[in-house]
Amino acid sequence: MSSDPDFISSAGPKTEELVFDAKEAQRRRRASRMQRVGDHLKREWQLYAMLIPTILWLVIFLYKPMYGLQIAFKDYSIFRGVAASPWIGFEHFETLFNNDQFLRALRNTLIMSAYGLLFGFPVPIFLALMFNEILNQKFKKTAQTIVYLPHFISSVIIAGIVITAFSPSAGIVNTILGWFGVDAVYFLTKPEWFRPIFIGTGIWQEAGFQSIVYLAAIAGVSPTLYESAVVDGASRWQMMWKITIPSILPTIIIMLIIRIGNILEISFEMIILLYQPATYQTADVVNTFIYRQGLQGGQYDFAAAAGLFNAVVAFILVMTANTISKRYSRTSLW
Amino acid sequence: MSGVQLEGIVKAYGAVQVVHGIDLEVQEKEFVVLVGPSGCGKSTTLRMIAGLEEISDGDLTIDGRHVNRVAPKDRDVAMVFQNYALYPHLNVADNIAFGLRIRKESKDAIASSVEEVGEILGLTPYLERRPADLSGGQRQRVAMGRAIVRRPKVFLFDEPLSNLDAKLRTQMRAEIKRLHKRLGVTSIYVTHDQIEAMTLADRIVVMHDGHIEQIGTPMELFLNPANTFVAGFLGSPPMNMISAQVVAGDAGPVAEFGGQRIQLQQIPSLQNGVGRPVTLGIRPEFVSVADQSDPAKVRLEVDLVETLGSEALIHASLMGDPFVIRTDTVGQMHVLDGISGFTIQPHLVKVFDAETGQTLPGQVLEQ
Repeated sequence: MSSDPDFISSAGPKTEELVFDAKEAQRRRRASRMQRVGDHLKREWQLYAMLIPTILWLVIFLYKPMYGLQIAFKDYSIFRGVAASPWIGFEHFETLFNNDQFLRALRNTLIMSAYGLLFGFPVPIFLALMFNEILNQKFKKTAQTIVYLPHFISSVIIAGIVITAFSPSAGIVNTILGWFGVDAVYFLTKPEWFRPIFIGTGIWQEAGFQSIVYLAAIAGVSPTLYESAVVDGASRWQMMWKITIPSILPTIIIMLIIRIGNILEISFEMIILLYQPATYQTADVVNTFIYRQGLQGGQYDFAAAAGLFNAVVAFILVMTANTISKRYSRTSLW
Repeated sequence: MSGVQLEGIVKAYGAVQVVHGIDLEVQEKEFVVLVGPSGCGKSTTLRMIAGLEEISDGDLTIDGRHVNRVAPKDRDVAMVFQNYALYPHLNVADNIAFGLRIRKESKDAIASSVEEVGEILGLTPYLERRPADLSGGQRQRVAMGRAIVRRPKVFLFDEPLSNLDAKLRTQMRAEIKRLHKRLGVTSIYVTHDQIEAMTLADRIVVMHDGHIEQIGTPMELFLNPANTFVAGFLGSPPMNMISAQVVAGDAGPVAEFGGQRIQLQQIPSLQNGVGRPVTLGIRPEFVSVADQSDPAKVRLEVDLVETLGSEALIHASLMGDPFVIRTDTVGQMHVLDGISGFTIQPHLVKVFDAETGQTLPGQVLEQ
């Protein structure tokens, strides 16, 4: 074969031709892909039509409000509107991080979320495992109904029940303590009691309902895995540890990632219903702080900055949890 | 006595009885296949032997021990399931070792057992892989590995090849047969696939509606089915059935149908059976294309010939009923068209009572 460059250039297609061919091929591929998508849409239009309400909901309630996020970087005035308000950069964020109340709310949020995760996250899993072990169907259904019930009670009523239960005069807790000679304690005014009461209420209200997800995951485990283990000689305890829990682990991890993503989203309506200035020290969280500053104090721009910070932290947390989970357990949200 | 004995085994769910008192004796080292259509009770019977279903009545003995009330783990049986029953979160080695770990065997013993089983089943390169990373055949081998690693007295197979494609099924069938030869463990195998039953079994148990229809070696059942159900269930294509009437012939009883006649065997039950309605059972393999000169040929209306390479299936009809012939005379197939003549050997015609479907006594077919 000749090494003459002329020979090479004359033997093969010229560079421009190659570029043209590549572009043409790419154009054709794109056209064919568009054609396929078009055909697919035409064929399955009913399915896509069913997506429309969800897409509209997402756009109206989640994407459109993002337009208003810019007020976190503006000196917002309701009279001038979002667009006409002047830009002030990160001023609100500087104020935020120099605000003792915000830092306290952030600390409280993180502590309560950590407690919630530590004590609240395992309870639904434990409940699901226990329900799965109940053989008497009648007892199982009754027990499930009892633990699901608080989820369907309004937070206002739950808060009322909690306030009544911990009341120093007629509350059942103080009545029981009284039997043992303990003086009545006004729990809801004591900062040190707020977190346990809040976390406990959350578990009582939601753990049963959250266990449904894990029960569904358990129901999906092939019965032959258990039968095979029975023939191998596994006890119920061993089957729970060696089959049930590993089988529902992907679900547990997905739920954990979602939970971590919502770590700053403390159930603030319950806090608003239970807290009072005496317990702000341990009860005030970012969302109640935003509520007080934004809605009660009229500082919309400052509250938007706090809310945006909240969202950015949540985003970073969920991304991190997802990446770690993907790397170490092959399970991830995306 | 070793092996497995079932005596009057009954399974009932409330008032509904699904297995009606079956008796079966599986000898030590024997490979017995329970075969039958869906819902015949074969899997339920196997699960009763495993201890996964309670026995409603009757006696089950394994290795000379009455085990009706014995927990599955103490019956010394191992089971291979249809969908493999592999733990998705464990790798192949851990799946194989699962039963041994449950029994708290030493780490060294487990490691050497897993290694040995890996070698026997050709799984050594895959020991670190998870089930999701294996092919169907490999998964099935792991499932068998889990069973054999425990060195049980009895292997129970519940349709283990049903999820595999045809090619892999043939391959795995041979592997199971080889494994049984090598290990010599008593095996009870459930399938609805009569080819699996014919190729694997030392003895086949044909079940229908919770009853045992017949027990015998594959060739016994193929040549001498006890009734029309067994005759129709075993063999592919199944046995052709012709409604006929016994008439007297010059050389003994003759079956007459649609104006045609076939000479029958000289058996006592037919000697005085003139006028008796019968069902003739003729295997597709026992019919051949007749010579022009054959005066005893049966005329069939051929409508389709399927050439399968080394053999051909001729789809014909007789008195409106389908009639299939399997033949290796591929080269002559092109001459078949419309009404053609076929030769049926009298000694290969099975005669069943038309009313009960049971075979008439005294017939023993030998190929």
